[in-house]
Amino acid sequence: MLIAILILFPLAAGVLLLALKSKTVNVATIYLYAVLHLVISVWLWRQPSSLLPFFLVDDLNILFLLVLSVLYLGVAFYHGDFLKQSGLSPRWHTWYAICLLLFNCCMTGVILSTHLGLLWVFVEGTTLASAPFIYYEGNKAALEATWKYVFICSVGIALAFVGIILLSMSAGDTVSLFFDDLGANAGKLSPFWLRLAFPFILMGFGTKMGLAPVHAWLPDAHAESPAPISAVLSGTLLNTALLGILRVYRVMDLAGQAAQARILLVAMGFLSLFVCAVFVLKNRNYKRMLAYSSIENMGLIAVGAGLGGVGIFAAMLHMVAHSLGKASLFLTAGNILGHYGTKDVAGVRGLLRVDRATGWLWIIGFLALAAFPPFPAFLSEFLMAGAILDGGNAWLLVPFFLLLTVILFGMGHSVMQMAFGDPNPSVRSQRTPLVNYIPQVLFLAVLVAVGLAMPAPVYDLVQRAALSLGGGR
Amino acid sequence: MINFLIVLFGVTMLYVAATSRIEAYVRMLVAQGLVLFLLVVADWQNFHLLNLLFLAVETLGFKAIIIPWFLRRVVRRNGVFRELEPYIPNFFSVVIASLIFAFGFVLAYGSLDFAQDIKPLYFGVSVSTMLTGLLVITTRKMLVTHVAGYMMLENGIFLLSLSMAREMPLLVNLGVLLDIFLGIFLLGLFATKIKSTFDESKIDALTHLRD
Repeated sequence: MLIAILILFPLAAGVLLLALKSKTVNVATIYLYAVLHLVISVWLWRQPSSLLPFFLVDDLNILFLLVLSVLYLGVAFYHGDFLKQSGLSPRWHTWYAICLLLFNCCMTGVILSTHLGLLWVFVEGTTLASAPFIYYEGNKAALEATWKYVFICSVGIALAFVGIILLSMSAGDTVSLFFDDLGANAGKLSPFWLRLAFPFILMGFGTKMGLAPVHAWLPDAHAESPAPISAVLSGTLLNTALLGILRVYRVMDLAGQAAQARILLVAMGFLSLFVCAVFVLKNRNYKRMLAYSSIENMGLIAVGAGLGGVGIFAAMLHMVAHSLGKASLFLTAGNILGHYGTKDVAGVRGLLRVDRATGWLWIIGFLALAAFPPFPAFLSEFLMAGAILDGGNAWLLVPFFLLLTVILFGMGHSVMQMAFGDPNPSVRSQRTPLVNYIPQVLFLAVLVAVGLAMPAPVYDLVQRAALSLGGGR
Repeated sequence: MINFLIVLFGVTMLYVAATSRIEAYVRMLVAQGLVLFLLVVADWQNFHLLNLLFLAVETLGFKAIIIPWFLRRVVRRNGVFRELEPYIPNFFSVVIASLIFAFGFVLAYGSLDFAQDIKPLYFGVSVSTMLTGLLVITTRKMLVTHVAGYMMLENGIFLLSLSMAREMPLLVNLGVLLDIFLGIFLLGLFATKIKSTFDESKIDALTHLRD
């Protein structure tokens, strides 16, 4: 019942909004859905339920659902002022709100699906619902980013579909594509088709997740879409694709075919780190910098998941750390864009003098992402290094820390350049409403709480997600 | 008869790899749509009547008529009939396509031991078609050709899912959802905006966002 509300509310609300076309109602609905989403998610956490046979809350997806809820709540409140400033006509304002609701609905669908085919349909839905946001600015660059996003993602989604067909060949006509069924009958799956299916699924959903070498859409799309949408794209959309990969990875593991999957995950993870390290050094646009950092963090999660054991716990924790940290940075980037009117690093100087709060949020957000203690990314990367040692490939630590250091230097350089110094003379200092700071403060506060003294329920949440993937501490 | 159709399907892909005339791509798409239609009809006992009707409309109406017709209009309107300077010469792309087909058949016959009811010819040709579709996307420059390449990728997927039709008729229908993207690409290409902002609709124009 509760799950039905999560999925159906946006659809019903969409029809209503379209009929009313009122800006106030649009914003109110966005808020309402955000609060509703969080309340229901917390409820489902305490009391898991299902809408059988297609939707189910289990140990793994509740973590993803809670991250989505918390993040969406913050982003929804940021939208209050953002939409006021945007000057959209009532018609476009309404479509914006509808797309936002549908986008969140599709991500919720991906997270809660129990069937691989259904999950795939919702992933396709996320692409469709989010494409209009990337064209938000309506100029040539936005058009280019939108085309790349839709085209590359749809090729990826097509490849994932090939993977699903191959997986069902492996299952034959006895096993269905429900995850439970696949898991319970993993022994009956034909290994040949399974091994053929996984690379397609990894490449397909990996495109959506932003793993190198199929990440090409990500920097453009994140740089062109409005700040709160970049936060959602980076903080939750990538996670939902990750969930698709993890579900199939678990089936591979149960079928005794994990070795190939692990090598592929770790290889793509390191490649993602490398891609980020190369580009972040000569980066000129701060939103692109954050986008490349998303590729890096997705790479770290893939490495953790591929290592298994403690690595999976680290990957789950890192997902939480990255989602909230990156969303906070993207929202702060929106504030910076409001002050300076440029996305160039070179055009932003003296942020701390122009707007002290934004400046500090920018620096602290960077520290959260760069895995400084007490933020949980420190713990997760530390555990990942431990998992690498456990795996017996100690030499992997060298590229691991080398690449992380390069990325830290590259990002830190840009962040510090922007935060300190004398403000550019041309900057139009404007008042930023309080609501543009609160979500970031909230996200960072959650992270500090998790990093300093991980509350037992949170630990339990992450640990159970890791256990359901066959890992954990 | 079915084998002949599938071989014909494969041949259309080799022709696509060989030529640089965009209208030839469109004609090959029509041929592929017709072949898929005939394959669906030949497989009629695997589907319910309504499902069969839906797939017939999808293959004959959408894949063989509407999409090619739209693509042709785009080509005519933009007045660009040839793929100019592809990243690799056509000769090499034929060679690569032939290698892809050889690989497809090796894979198909390698899979014979593991196949339960999967027909190797279906499997070989569909894998080769998908890879050749990707080849077309990666080596050509025009946006129209990219859309045509995506359509070929999708046709390959449709063929693959047909080989699973008995076990999982659901998959054949799910695959149709990929056409939604195609519809969006076509709308994008057709909207005047693309024409006025991407000069000559080449992806060379898509290089403003870079590092």
